[in-house]
Amino acid sequence: MSSKINHPINGQIFPQPCPHLAEFRSRNGAKAFRALQDCLRVKPPSGRAAIRRDPDEVPRCAECGDSAGRTRLYACVRCAGVHCHAPPGPSHTAVHADSMAPGHEIAVDVDRAELFCCACRDQVYDRDFDAAVVLAQTAASTLHAPSSIARSPHPENLRKRRRVDYRPWMPDPRERVLMGSCSSPLNAAVSVSRSNDLPWGLRGLNNLGNTCFMNSVLQALLHTPPLRNYFLSDRHNRYFCQKKSGASNDATRRNGANNADARICLACDMDAMFSAVFSGDRIPYSPAKFLYSWWQHAANLASYEQQDAHEFFISMLDGIHEKVEKDRRKPQSQGNGDCCIAHRVFSGILRSDVMCMACGFTSTTYDPCVDISLDLEPNQGGSAKVASTKSNYSFNGEADFMNSSQSSGISTLMGCLDRFTRPERLGSDQKFFCQQCQVRQESLKQMSIRKLPLVSCFHIKRFEHSSVRKMSRKVDRYLQFPFSLDMAPYLSSSILRSRFGNRIFPFDGDEPDTSNELSSEFELFAVVTHTGKLDAGHYVTYLRLSNNWYKCDDAWITEVNESTVRAAQGYMMFYVQKVLYYKASEKQVAA
Amino acid sequence: MRKSVNRPPTPDAGENQEKEPSVREIVNIKLIESGEKERLMELLRERLIECGWKDEMKALCRAFVKKKGRNNVTVDDLIHVITPKGRASIPDSIKAELLQRIRTFLVSAAL
Repeated sequence: MSSKINHPINGQIFPQPCPHLAEFRSRNGAKAFRALQDCLRVKPPSGRAAIRRDPDEVPRCAECGDSAGRTRLYACVRCAGVHCHAPPGPSHTAVHADSMAPGHEIAVDVDRAELFCCACRDQVYDRDFDAAVVLAQTAASTLHAPSSIARSPHPENLRKRRRVDYRPWMPDPRERVLMGSCSSPLNAAVSVSRSNDLPWGLRGLNNLGNTCFMNSVLQALLHTPPLRNYFLSDRHNRYFCQKKSGASNDATRRNGANNADARICLACDMDAMFSAVFSGDRIPYSPAKFLYSWWQHAANLASYEQQDAHEFFISMLDGIHEKVEKDRRKPQSQGNGDCCIAHRVFSGILRSDVMCMACGFTSTTYDPCVDISLDLEPNQGGSAKVASTKSNYSFNGEADFMNSSQSSGISTLMGCLDRFTRPERLGSDQKFFCQQCQVRQESLKQMSIRKLPLVSCFHIKRFEHSSVRKMSRKVDRYLQFPFSLDMAPYLSSSILRSRFGNRIFPFDGDEPDTSNELSSEFELFAVVTHTGKLDAGHYVTYLRLSNNWYKCDDAWITEVNESTVRAAQGYMMFYVQKVLYYKASEKQVAA
Repeated sequence: MRKSVNRPPTPDAGENQEKEPSVREIVNIKLIESGEKERLMELLRERLIECGWKDEMKALCRAFVKKKGRNNVTVDDLIHVITPKGRASIPDSIKAELLQRIRTFLVSAAL
């Protein structure tokens, strides 16, 4: 068995070469795999790398003439002899290695361009070889290029902090007394009747004049677990915050600062709303103070006209962030979510790779995001080729229901995410300046998710505004969304791996982000839907509490069936991470 | 690749000509030359991913490695264990689709 002890190099786990590979490398030096490089053929459409002496070669075993269909074929790296390998059956590769030993142990799988040690009978990995394969794959479109995949800068502020185990906390008697003296219990009668009624925290919101766009988003946020926990555990106390604003007002009065503005705090209004909604009172609540505060923040949207719920969502998070920034008087990066609760909950990091198609140079950038806006597919139905192959055979019997959604042409959320992370060709009118070529070149762009947020908000672009044609329209097409979602395939690590296969290759300063490795599973908890036309429509939110679904239509809350939710026209979908992890605190805790 | 003194002798030209290429070999060559084989492989890969076969195989491999221990498994072991299960669990619809594609190709290639 080949040695598989892993030693981290610059934080990368890297398999150690087996003794035969190590010997081969030392014997042949830096150009050990140079000859192989010339035989690397990257085949369209798959982009897979294969080893061929000339492009049309049909490789066969030198001893028995078997071709690649029945067995794996390995080409000896030393002498280019091709042999079959089909254990436990005949293996002319092993025979070759034994008979020509030493020096002929290392071979390469001709169809997969993967190294194999015949003596150890196992796959082995070599950094330089993989680098050559990756290069061939990236340069596959036009010219054969010189090496150099760019090193991109680490994303800002992505410090790694130790993870700690969750330790549950219960108040001790002294703390209980403290809690009792500083609070008043919610109406006991309400909590008893609640068991037959709606669950805790469900309360209608009055429409204050076309404010369903705001009510729908607020309902989703009121039940966003991390946000709800933050406010209910008094992490933003509105009384303290207002007092603090009052104090700073006196200090800045001389500077002529706008005193009224200092008192406006969207987080305080949220705090008040959480208190009201979770009080047990069922009479619909009017978020008038919140609306007024938000109008102060987003003056251009202050009117009684119907607004876009997504625009409101972004604006609101921004408002919470700005107030925190103003208080701290220094700008904070959004990427790691340390700046404010809004970003702590919703902020993730997107990675964008732009690869020059002439030389393979890749430029990587990282951008924080609070949500992901997805396009609906332009035409109804899956790819055309699915439809045509289905008609080719008269296959009567059950259809394969696992891919029925693609065959029957329903748009799905995962389909949209696939499109979002698909490599996109930037055409001749969008040429990107390549650092290496020093000219604008056609490029390939691919998005992926570098860091997942605690809560993922997916926004479906249903409202199309065309400034060219001076018109707007709404896309009503149904989108299927899952109740559970695994985001693993859309992470940068997965996207890069699928681009390059199982190559041991350091991906541009990509530290293994333990948070992504641990869990990428999400659960749906809120859906904001839109019905009606672009300028005359209505927003409604569906909330999932203890696996029951509730429809929140302004002041009216009703329990609904799961199927109602599945059939609804999703506009914004909110998913929360199934498992939360705790980082060690930087603050010293007083003993 | 560079020719090396240690290269094993090329099989005799005469020896090869005695063996007539089988139908299977001829079909294989035609498939490769036209590029159809590569397209079929891509189609197969896509179908096997769609129906969850690939994930199933991955899970089987993981379970096997877990059982044997990470340092006690070779590629050969994995292939030996997975191949029969893999072959057995390919959905009939995929087999039918590929057969049909190959038939269509043969018809068009013969003309």
